[in-house]
Amino acid sequence: MAVDTATAPALLDESAVARKPIHGWSLAVLGALMTVGALTQLGGREVLFRLDQTSPGAEWALPASFAVAVLGVLTALGGALMVYGIQRRFHKTVLAVAVTCFALGLLLWAMSPEGVVFRVEAILAGALFLSMPYIFGALSGVVCERSGVINIGIEGQFLMGAFSGVLVASISGNVYIGIVGAMLAGSLSTLLLALMATKYQVNQVVVGVILNLLALGLTGFMFDQLKKTPGYNVAASVPVLDFGPLAEIPIIGPTLFRQNLFVYVGLALVALVWFLLFRTRWGLRTRSVGEHPAAADAMGVNVNRLRFWNVTAAGLISGFGGAFFTIANSLAFTKNMTAGLGFVALAVMIVGRWNPLGVLAGALIFGFTTQVSRYLDTAGNSIVPGEFLQMLPYAVTIVVVAGLIGRAKAPAADGVPYNPGDK
Amino acid sequence: MTTENTTATAEQPESPEPPESKPSFARLFGRYLIEANSVMVTVYSLLLAFAIGAVLLIVSDEQVRSSYGYFFARPSDALGGSWNLIYSSYMDLFQGAILNFNTLERFQAGNADFGDLLRPLSETLTNATPLIFTGLAVGLAFRAGLFNIGAQGQMIFGMLGALVIGFSLNVPAIVHIPLAILAGAVAGGLFGAVPGVLKATTGAHEVISSIMLNNIAALFLVWALSTKFIHSETRSELVSKPVRDSAELPALLGWLNPSLRVNLAIVVGVAVAVGVWWLLTKSTFGYRIRAVGFNGPASATAGMSVGRTYATTMGAAGALAGLAGAALALGTGSGGVNTATVLEYGFDGITVALLGRANPAGIVVSALLFGALKAGALSAQPDVPVDISTLLQATIVLFIAAPALVKAILRLRTPRGGLVTLEAKGW
Repeated sequence: MAVDTATAPALLDESAVARKPIHGWSLAVLGALMTVGALTQLGGREVLFRLDQTSPGAEWALPASFAVAVLGVLTALGGALMVYGIQRRFHKTVLAVAVTCFALGLLLWAMSPEGVVFRVEAILAGALFLSMPYIFGALSGVVCERSGVINIGIEGQFLMGAFSGVLVASISGNVYIGIVGAMLAGSLSTLLLALMATKYQVNQVVVGVILNLLALGLTGFMFDQLKKTPGYNVAASVPVLDFGPLAEIPIIGPTLFRQNLFVYVGLALVALVWFLLFRTRWGLRTRSVGEHPAAADAMGVNVNRLRFWNVTAAGLISGFGGAFFTIANSLAFTKNMTAGLGFVALAVMIVGRWNPLGVLAGALIFGFTTQVSRYLDTAGNSIVPGEFLQMLPYAVTIVVVAGLIGRAKAPAADGVPYNPGDK
Repeated sequence: MTTENTTATAEQPESPEPPESKPSFARLFGRYLIEANSVMVTVYSLLLAFAIGAVLLIVSDEQVRSSYGYFFARPSDALGGSWNLIYSSYMDLFQGAILNFNTLERFQAGNADFGDLLRPLSETLTNATPLIFTGLAVGLAFRAGLFNIGAQGQMIFGMLGALVIGFSLNVPAIVHIPLAILAGAVAGGLFGAVPGVLKATTGAHEVISSIMLNNIAALFLVWALSTKFIHSETRSELVSKPVRDSAELPALLGWLNPSLRVNLAIVVGVAVAVGVWWLLTKSTFGYRIRAVGFNGPASATAGMSVGRTYATTMGAAGALAGLAGAALALGTGSGGVNTATVLEYGFDGITVALLGRANPAGIVVSALLFGALKAGALSAQPDVPVDISTLLQATIVLFIAAPALVKAILRLRTPRGGLVTLEAKGW
């Protein structure tokens, strides 16, 4: 992101009253529209909530028009507050609450048609599962960019991982060896990026985009070539771990305790990368190399060597994320199956502000969006055409990257090659 | 920022050399060959990429790979098999793109007409046409320091725009064709301006927003083709109405043989490339583009609006990509477009622009080269996987982007003035 030059508000008095008329008016208008729409269009409809995995039969009905109207009023209220003027430190909270109310209102509206049931447990568990590629991709991005190398080739690493995972698993007959193969393939891709970024000092955005194309061409080429003899592209899967009684707890049981192996690895990786980055010597060095390489160099850190190994290692994570597309979903490889999610992961990294915990939060939001759009698409009976629902994660990415949620600040030396010679 | 950071220094007056040691032409030429200047880097990139493609062909071929299992027992099997595989694969590409020797024999025997002989070349030009436009779309943005990887989406909207005008209006061809082309440019331009405006107003990186818009455009195309307004009235599959005859681009060599698809769009493409060259080098707008690309803060200090330049450049780039869509809708896809009509011309535009080093003349030449590669790959499938064109293109531009790598692999000399590299901005 562009470096935010308007950091001045941080120095201002946090309790000063300020107005945000543009945000305020748009929220007020949207909220009012939603309230009016709910009261006129949704009369008599109900949103059905069902817990069908742990407690069959448990079902609640919420009158749609009332619930959506209340959420609309809350949104409008938040907008009105911002127009009227509130203390500066409350702005973010009010904005977040109002936007959440509006999004919830839209969600309930979408769930209101006859025959659509809000299967709470299935949707939440699916959301966590679908947030995994974003977590792996964004964590790989965090490690690279904290070291000062832009990794725009996550999409390509996903493709390499997805393809190699299935290929190696098919040849070896062991899905775990396949996953290791996926990680190595992802790492091979970042190895090229690392080499280009450190040794040859090539522009990292250009190389990243080229590496994406290279992965697209390479996996497509090999896919067609290997298709000629059967047995190289056989779907394999990893087990779903079930924690017995824990998995029977309503709502959180199926979400947290009966999930694919990938989910537990992803969550553990978030904690691990956070710990490594912020609590270890390696983390301190990595961050210093990303923020101020010359200072790190003066302290005796070999900047380009650390960058090289960090970026190469980050490929292990995104390659693992690539295996999600094939192995975690028990699918065989198809051309371009990652469908741009590597770039969504990049957006998740920005939302998460280059921090693993932020990445987790961002990935969950995107996973939930993806899950809801897929659910509504398959549930049918939707007012919106399926293609538009599928656009949702991409549209949310644009909104997020456009910084409507606040501008994020990248590591200072992100994307700047370091040449110890020219100081 | 694009560009040839070093051309300025390369044109410095030659350093005085003692006259008695004036090197011969052959010596100079030899030295030129082992130097990492931009011409030789291009040549070596092509050679290296084809060499890597050959290795991948061997590795991925079951039969040849198994012959390496007994390499020491009978090396002739492995080596001969590899050579045959590489030769036949690259020969298939050549025959699909330039000249088919079977047709040549039939022509000499009098069983084929001249038009049949020209078909591979016509296919090359047909595939090069959208690449010229998308290459220019990426290249123009590159000059302003913007990496436009949204040419695919812009092209899709251009195609839809030209298509709608193409089948809905009923006017003579002389009005209809320009109107439909214009509609394509406008639709692509408006869609292309979005990442530019977002970057100017919020700082959103254009690489992410434009790739997201690509995905949105692809989904939009599927939806649009299914609507009653656009969907074909006579066919049930996902295909659009055909454009009217008056909007169809005339085939250039149709009088020779009706199967020669190359049409007027290639002429428009070359003309537009000249126009872009003029725009970049002779106009105020072009000067602003280059200034912003070269040094944004300095141009802002000089009184240029960097944000407005981002928005207008992306709009112009989108219009260029929209022309690619118009060429498809009114040319090869005039019988009705579907989701496969656009292929990957937009993404290929990135490699075309990088190989052409964001320079209009270079882009036309690279578009012809990659058009030939595409035509060859399309005609050689399924013997040779069609993705070999993407693979070779990506490998070529990887080397182009990293001249230092080529220099290191082949142990070339550094030319006077340093290596020529390409730049795009980060976050």
